[in-house]
Amino acid sequence: MQRRNRLVETIFWLVIAFLYLPLFYVIFQAFLVDPHNWKSGFTMMWIIKLFDSPSLWLPLGTSLEIAVISATLSVSLGTLGAVGLTPIAAMLPATFQTLIMLPILLPEVITGLSLLLFFLLLRMELGFWTVVIAHASFSASFVYFIMVEQIRKLDPQMNEAARDLGAKPNEVFWKVTLPNILPGVMGAWLLAFTLSFDDFLISFFTSGAGLTTLPLKIYSLMRIGVTPELNGLSFFMILISTFLVLILVSKEQSRKWVLKG
Amino acid sequence: MSYLKDKSDSLQTAAKTIPASAWFFMSWLVLMTLIPFFIIVGMSFLERTEFGNIRFHFNFDNYLVTFNVVYLKVLLKTLWLALIATASCLVVGFPVAYYLAKQAGPMKQMGLILLFIPFWTNFILRIYGIVSLLGNNGLLNQMLLHYQIVDSPVRILYTRVGVYIGLIYNYLPFLVVPVYSALEKLDPTLREASFDLGAGRIQTFFKVVIPNIKEGVFVGSLFVFIPMLGEYVIPDLLGGAKEAFLGKVMVDQFFTMQNWPLGSAMATLLSVIMLFALILQNRWKKNSGEAHAA
Repeated sequence: MQRRNRLVETIFWLVIAFLYLPLFYVIFQAFLVDPHNWKSGFTMMWIIKLFDSPSLWLPLGTSLEIAVISATLSVSLGTLGAVGLTPIAAMLPATFQTLIMLPILLPEVITGLSLLLFFLLLRMELGFWTVVIAHASFSASFVYFIMVEQIRKLDPQMNEAARDLGAKPNEVFWKVTLPNILPGVMGAWLLAFTLSFDDFLISFFTSGAGLTTLPLKIYSLMRIGVTPELNGLSFFMILISTFLVLILVSKEQSRKWVLKG
Repeated sequence: MSYLKDKSDSLQTAAKTIPASAWFFMSWLVLMTLIPFFIIVGMSFLERTEFGNIRFHFNFDNYLVTFNVVYLKVLLKTLWLALIATASCLVVGFPVAYYLAKQAGPMKQMGLILLFIPFWTNFILRIYGIVSLLGNNGLLNQMLLHYQIVDSPVRILYTRVGVYIGLIYNYLPFLVVPVYSALEKLDPTLREASFDLGAGRIQTFFKVVIPNIKEGVFVGSLFVFIPMLGEYVIPDLLGGAKEAFLGKVMVDQFFTMQNWPLGSAMATLLSVIMLFALILQNRWKKNSGEAHAA
């Protein structure tokens, strides 16, 4: 009995080690004098060099801008949707539910390819805005589900009371509903931001030739081969991603979604 | 017919009751998800001319081509690899899920979080981590050479094994979760009853635990298996140029072969399989829900 449990526990920790080892090694590699030799000693040189180089700042800036705009867009859309649909959720036919779930359920490749064709047929120029729209198109549904949960927790009598006291529907939203769901809105925004910042595949399909986000930059360097620049950029990307996910985990509203990947 | 009429009636009533604020969201979903998806579906019935243009001529040829020997071979190879990878995830994932399900208190959630944090780092970075470890210059080969276990680097990357490791690495937690929740739902008194009736641990496992979780585990596996089939980056970066993989062949139709209709047919087929899995999952949820109610 005891031994069997010990075995299961060992497997668990081995799996965790297997999952973390590649990422830790990428961090370790960024400080090696020779990235191909693990005994070559440590240096800060590559990281310092990277700070002076536009190959860090340009893609990082693009990634941040896209994440901020698309998160704001998807939070507005998803929150409005949740505010409108939660009270009548029981009446909605299954078709609606499926439609809302669709962006989460479709394999990312399909989402990316279908958006690419859509943009091309509309003769939109691929670049910054197509990526922003594409990111918001999948994260709006995540926001919706977070916000539905938040709104369900609210006391419906509050809205009634506001209406009885003469508030118009607009005023009810801005003065009663929104302040009460604000923590949820922030959690949802952070989740949408993280989804956008970490996204590779959708950006890869919808960005065209001119635009480079941080993950796209890492991908293109990877195709060339292992370089100190690639290791440095990867190091920064891991730092930022880990920071974001730790914030998400610490917030009750978004923790559930982290576990669903 | 009356079913269809009822359905459209209920859609109409629903449409009337939707408040103005939700219309933005619903229109956004229709415009940015549904229409692009139907463009792919529609495109799959069109024809490509010799010059790579699209001709509006409704036909099923692209689907017939998909069942051509060349693509059938790719499909079978991909199915096989994804099947082995899913099975491996299950074998490795089961003890992990079992361990987590048995934990009490904060360790349960901590364990799950620990499992998922790597998946919130960027996908490309995870692939790069695997390249750094397993490449010809990677840590593994450096060590093997250093301790003189081998004379020349072992080639793992850019082979089928590389793709296989990449698939397991990237999908494992997504299989742990369904197994974990199936184990969580399992009534502990069932196992006790089985012990009381004289069954041993192994007998209990195969006759009580497995039959009770198998459906949940099966559906969970489908949701790992299907996206694996469409995987593009893993075979592209970890597999060799010779390794044809369904997702890569599909994406290449759009970018290198310039054959959108054929690529769309493949994408449509993949989505149809995905939808089929969803229906299965819904039915399973409904069944297990009813079982609980009874």
